[in-house]
Amino acid sequence: MGALRVRAGAVVVFGLAALVPLATRDAFFLDSLILIVMWGALSAAWNVAGGYAGQVSLGHAAFFGVGAYSAALVGVRYGLSPWLGLLLGVALSIVAGGLIGYLSNRLKGPYFALSTIAFSQVLLIVVGRWRGFTAGSEGIPVPYHPGLWTLGLGKVAWVYLALALALVCYAVEVYLERSRRGYQLAGVREDEDAAEALGIATRRLKVWAVTLSAALTSVGGSLWAQYVGFVDPAYVFSIDLSVRFALNTIIGGMGTALGPWLGSILITSLETYLRATFAGMKTGFAGIYLIIYGVVLILVVRFVPEGLVGLAGRLRTRVAGASP
Amino acid sequence: MLTLERVTKRFGGLTAVREVSLEVRAGDLLGIIGPNGAGKTTLFNVIAGYYRPDEGRVLFDGHDVTGRPAHAISRLGLTRTFQIVKPFGNLSVRDNVMIGAFTRLAGTREARAEAERVIGICGLGPHADARARALPLGLRKRLEVARALATHPKLLLLDEVMAGLNPTELGGMIDLVRRLHADGLTLIVIEHVMAAMMRLAQRIVMLHHGERIAEGTPREIASDRRVIDAYLGEEFVLADA
Repeated sequence: MGALRVRAGAVVVFGLAALVPLATRDAFFLDSLILIVMWGALSAAWNVAGGYAGQVSLGHAAFFGVGAYSAALVGVRYGLSPWLGLLLGVALSIVAGGLIGYLSNRLKGPYFALSTIAFSQVLLIVVGRWRGFTAGSEGIPVPYHPGLWTLGLGKVAWVYLALALALVCYAVEVYLERSRRGYQLAGVREDEDAAEALGIATRRLKVWAVTLSAALTSVGGSLWAQYVGFVDPAYVFSIDLSVRFALNTIIGGMGTALGPWLGSILITSLETYLRATFAGMKTGFAGIYLIIYGVVLILVVRFVPEGLVGLAGRLRTRVAGASP
Repeated sequence: MLTLERVTKRFGGLTAVREVSLEVRAGDLLGIIGPNGAGKTTLFNVIAGYYRPDEGRVLFDGHDVTGRPAHAISRLGLTRTFQIVKPFGNLSVRDNVMIGAFTRLAGTREARAEAERVIGICGLGPHADARARALPLGLRKRLEVARALATHPKLLLLDEVMAGLNPTELGGMIDLVRRLHADGLTLIVIEHVMAAMMRLAQRIVMLHHGERIAEGTPREIASDRRVIDAYLGEEFVLADA
């Protein structure tokens, strides 16, 4: 019952997103939509490790950056399709994700989170210094060649490509809620010793989850780079970005399939609105959206610690109770 | 079914288990008793693969499982419960038991059906939808047993599943363990509740300072001088007589 209701929520959210391009071609609106869907998908990718496996990473920008740079460099340096770059990024992220997953067997909780931050910062420095190949900290523009193979697409096509990524991530989450492996992963998250007693190879399963999460994040990074058309290390490897993935998910609901998109809808649109509103004011207000951002997070954690998905469930119970 | 050959486990300078040998045959219900710190739980941790013994071997069902990881041993059919219960707190009772059932079953539907069956056996039916962490201790101890049972073990290690239960819960747990044994399950039981142990076990091993100091039927153990001195005390013997 509950599961079906949540799936209905997904149909509404993704269905509405798919219908928007039929209603409006406004570039600003479509741009916001693409970013909401993409940040939602990337948060869902984070959710695989952070929510379902309980391995809270604050360095997922590392995988995002690997994906972004792979797609960009393969095109710029070798003239190959960004799709090949996307695959290369996935391969590299599987290696890096395996490494981080292995770390999660040695380090718990905050120590794991810290080590992931360090990992993303190391990549930031390496890519920033390796001028000959990566163009260093000034970043590289991604040339625009129209066509699906070169990912030179219009905004409407990008809406549907972002949605395709979102559906893949969502399907992975649903798999983790229904399958044997998903149940076993929940066991690992809740208590590793007890999971071992039930025949679950906890270490291997954690590595698997973190690696899967890394690969999905890398795909999102590749597509984002092609959509935005510019990649620079200070942004794609930033802690801000890692925190964004975590934040969307925590606000939407950790370990819930739709939560990452609910969080992304709230946070991305809030951010877009605040930036637009305060952009013209004195420079002292430039960062005010970060303050409001922080306040929203505090309110959510204080009043709806189970996230927006949990809030929806609570409201439903109350409505059901009020009207018998 | 299970053979321990002179198993020793040390923690730094402390020898928690010293050269303990044991033999458990299929269908046995072996009790392990001993004062706090005697090495009972350490012994379980060695058997179930949580600690690697410093010396000696553990043989289970024809395999040398010494130093193998706990999950591999569990898949061979040897699992355990935890003295300090370890429920998957945020999951429902049903989901907890399903994760046990997934040890042998691949399909979600089959695992759910198996979980329902085991939940029924363990008398957790009315609580199947409750969050594990919301259960009182008595039911969490039952959940601990249910989850282990769902893996279809050949040998089940129960670590103080009766400690802290009220008399009604205790009676239910004794019945449950007895029923499982009657159905052919082999068990090793650690327990401080001597009355329960006397009623359940076929054989009892007494550990003291990590060493096996006595073994015998409940009656023999209750009248063993070393056991009385180290553990039971005169009062128990008088009360029993």
